[in-house]
Amino acid sequence: MRRSDLGEFEEIVLLAVAALAPGAYSVSIAEELESETGQTVSTGAVHAALQRLEQKGYLNSHLGEATQERGGRRKRLFAVTAYGGKILHEARSVRNSLWNRITPAELSKMGLDFSNS
Amino acid sequence: MQPLPPRWLDKLATRICAPHLREELLGDLHERYALRHRRTGTRKANFFFLREVAALLRPSIMRRKPSPYGSPSAFSRDMLRNYFKIGSRVLVKNRGYSLIHLTGLSIGLWACMMVATVVIDSLSYDRQWGRKDDIYRIVTRSKMGADIVERSSSSPEALGPELQKNYAEVESWSPLDATTLHFKIHPGDSDGVETHLLTADTAISQILDIKLLAGSFQPSTQNGWKLAVSKSYAAKIFPGQDPIGKIIHNIPTFDSQPVAYEVTALIDDIPYNSHLRADAIRIRSRKIEPLLSSGYMTYGRSYIKLKRGTDVHAFARKVNAWYAGFMKNSGREQFEFQPLQDIYLHSDFAEGQNIKANARTIYIFAGVALLLLFIACVNFVNLSTAKAFARIKETGVRKILSGSRLQLIVQLLTETLLLFGLSTCIAFFAYYFTLAPVENFLGHKLVITFISGVGMAAAALATIFITSLITGVYPAWMVSGFKPANTLRGIMTSALGRNGLRKTLVVAQFSISIVVLLATIVVWQQVRLMKDKELGYKKNDLLSIEQISWEGKGNAFKTEIQRIPGVVSSSIAFWLPTEGGGYMRRNIKDPADATRQIAIWYIAGDIDLPQTLGLKLMKGRMFSDRYADALNGDSLQKISFELFEKAQMNQNALITTTAARMLGIRELDKHVENASSVPVGIVGDFHNESLYEPIKPTIILARKSPDYGGMLIRIRPGTERQVVASVEKLGKQFLPHKSLRISNVGDQIFKQYEAESKLHQLFLFFSGLTMFLSALGIFGLVVQAAEQRAKEVGIRKVLGASVAGIVGLISKDFVKLVMIAIVVASPLAWYGLQKWLESYPYRTAIHWWVFAVTGVAALVVTIGTVSFQAIRTATADPVRSLRNE
Repeated sequence: MRRSDLGEFEEIVLLAVAALAPGAYSVSIAEELESETGQTVSTGAVHAALQRLEQKGYLNSHLGEATQERGGRRKRLFAVTAYGGKILHEARSVRNSLWNRITPAELSKMGLDFSNS
Repeated sequence: MQPLPPRWLDKLATRICAPHLREELLGDLHERYALRHRRTGTRKANFFFLREVAALLRPSIMRRKPSPYGSPSAFSRDMLRNYFKIGSRVLVKNRGYSLIHLTGLSIGLWACMMVATVVIDSLSYDRQWGRKDDIYRIVTRSKMGADIVERSSSSPEALGPELQKNYAEVESWSPLDATTLHFKIHPGDSDGVETHLLTADTAISQILDIKLLAGSFQPSTQNGWKLAVSKSYAAKIFPGQDPIGKIIHNIPTFDSQPVAYEVTALIDDIPYNSHLRADAIRIRSRKIEPLLSSGYMTYGRSYIKLKRGTDVHAFARKVNAWYAGFMKNSGREQFEFQPLQDIYLHSDFAEGQNIKANARTIYIFAGVALLLLFIACVNFVNLSTAKAFARIKETGVRKILSGSRLQLIVQLLTETLLLFGLSTCIAFFAYYFTLAPVENFLGHKLVITFISGVGMAAAALATIFITSLITGVYPAWMVSGFKPANTLRGIMTSALGRNGLRKTLVVAQFSISIVVLLATIVVWQQVRLMKDKELGYKKNDLLSIEQISWEGKGNAFKTEIQRIPGVVSSSIAFWLPTEGGGYMRRNIKDPADATRQIAIWYIAGDIDLPQTLGLKLMKGRMFSDRYADALNGDSLQKISFELFEKAQMNQNALITTTAARMLGIRELDKHVENASSVPVGIVGDFHNESLYEPIKPTIILARKSPDYGGMLIRIRPGTERQVVASVEKLGKQFLPHKSLRISNVGDQIFKQYEAESKLHQLFLFFSGLTMFLSALGIFGLVVQAAEQRAKEVGIRKVLGASVAGIVGLISKDFVKLVMIAIVVASPLAWYGLQKWLESYPYRTAIHWWVFAVTGVAALVVTIGTVSFQAIRTATADPVRSLRNE
């Protein structure tokens, strides 16, 4: 697995696409990320990430309908491909296995022991 | 109502975003804007939108999608060949335009190159000496009053050695003066060879790096001068021989016998572009005079060499502080150290320095030439943008056939470069052939030219190349920018209708022409004023013989001169017009204001001098034989100098009106203490020198048969040739080993104004050129306008418009522009010329009619040029212009 292919922001965007399916497009993703992280996320950044992800084959897209708010322009809707799903899964399993390897004692030392709370 | 982001930001976003991404991205932006607008209000939404637009600045969004139909690189070999092919075809097809372009550019480039040469040459003077930064000429500043300072290029000769003794900074010093002598190479020669000489002492070789080729520098002795001759001068006087040891004789002026000059050294030529340009150097022995606080010292031109890196200003301050203390005169006389490289261009004050130029004239010269080039380039831009009309279809077709904008720009630039290249060739040819006439006009050779070295030529070509790129870029950018969909459909894009730039350029162009024309007229008026102004004496029909020693035959010679038919009167004089303010100057206390000094000038001659000059008597009497007016100066001096001084103090004198006023003289025939004489008459003021100087208060004394002196001869009109011939014959008879230098006083006076008269010729030439180029430019534009409006004119004619009406219609626009130019240019020119005239004590007034005449001239030229084409358009058959569709 080539983890370097997936940047952190890209990973989050990819997850957001999966979470928002089937209505995932730049604005909804940016709004979602903004509400999740509490930080401003620019459409351009999201769009660039989506472009890259599509190029890598993790996403595919089609043009959706136009709305008046968009000045009559159509939106591009994104969906996660099977390959993209596999990559997400792999990323998650790597994390999980790492999380699992952390001993409870270490967790509590870090103040991250949530098991008792 | 749908909220919309600010238009300009929206436009900016459109610009930034690649076309294929616009649909989705701009849509996203608007949608988010609407969301935020609802949530936070207009101001915050706008702020966020700005951030969004800024966030678009990333390569993945900005990069344009390449065209699926590939076009060859704009600089591939095929394309380069194609540019030249199309370019040359376009130029040949539009012959008329190409010719206008070529003429304008060639003239502009030629003039610029010529002037650049003159400027570069002037700036190159004295830059070739090895220690040029450390050599200075000592300049004396004399305080004449509270705020009047006179500068002089001579300084006490004793100063150099004194400075070397006192200050460690001084490396060396030498007197260095320039004279012109005539040498007889062989004793039998009838005429002398004019020779420019430097007089220096043996230290000269330590100051200037003069290369000794043969012999050695030897100081002169009692028996005669020792001479170091330059290579080319030696080749002239002793072709093919070794000059060392040869003896030549000068033609004496003040001595009775010729003096021998022995050639002891052969040196490399002194650089031509140096104010020390000379054929030979005579070396005097190094004499060190003591510096005296009494002030009676020999003055001369002196140069000083300081140690490397000396701060000359600090040094000058130190020297002046010491000198003021030494002389106890509270700093009446101070010194400046003029850098060697400044001497050529900044020596207005230096009398007797013949090799100098006026920095101001050089700057004017350069300014006018730059303006000329500007006009030529403006013509180019104007015509090219006007011509764009004819090429937008071509542009459209090329773009549709997948030509890129870069290709189009390069194509148009190639055409510009072709035109500039051709013009440069023509300009270089013209330059090559006009160098000699220009040198004649300037009166000296140009050492550094664009054809003298590869470096200079390359620099010129590079400059022209850059100019052509700058000139060509705007038209190319404009023409290549049209949208093919519009141009092919016949819709003119707004750029063509917006010809504000063109109009501004025409106004600028004509303003320049008008300024130059105004300057021409005013400079001409000033020249005429200086030429024609009443000088207080009659300058016409007056001959002068340069000062020589008469060897006791002065009176006899004068008697013979009087016998020549055509001679009215003659006088032997110590002073000749244009030879400075007088033979002697005294600074005396101003009777009206004890803190100021006034300079009184003395001129002297025999008793016929006032009458020969033609001075006007205002009060009292002229000199006459009946009174003891004339002092027998020579014989008195022989007995004792004191006796002479005493007699001179009580001598009868004529004084000028100004002198009388300044000295407060009301009664005649009474000894005046500070004038050291007894005024017997008051004569009208006269201009001793050029009109650059204000009237000088002057006292005229009479001397009996002076042995040294020049001669003034008043002749009857029209007899100059015979009289000169007879005088020369007499001269050969009386003084066989000398030669008389006879000249016409009127001519010599006019020669003083050479700078102005040259400036005038120059302006005359440039005003002609600028007018011509401006007219050429406007002609191109009017041809263009007539072509564009051919249909309109046709329809108007069909509907019954008159020829005059149509001519007026076409001319109106241009006449309006020229009117604006007149309004813009007149005050500018007035201000500039007023500034120029301020330096002349006698100056012409700038009359209103000068502006009127210039304005009318500019209008006449415009109307003439415009109506030539306008009439052709107006008289054309309307059928021809209307039928072609």
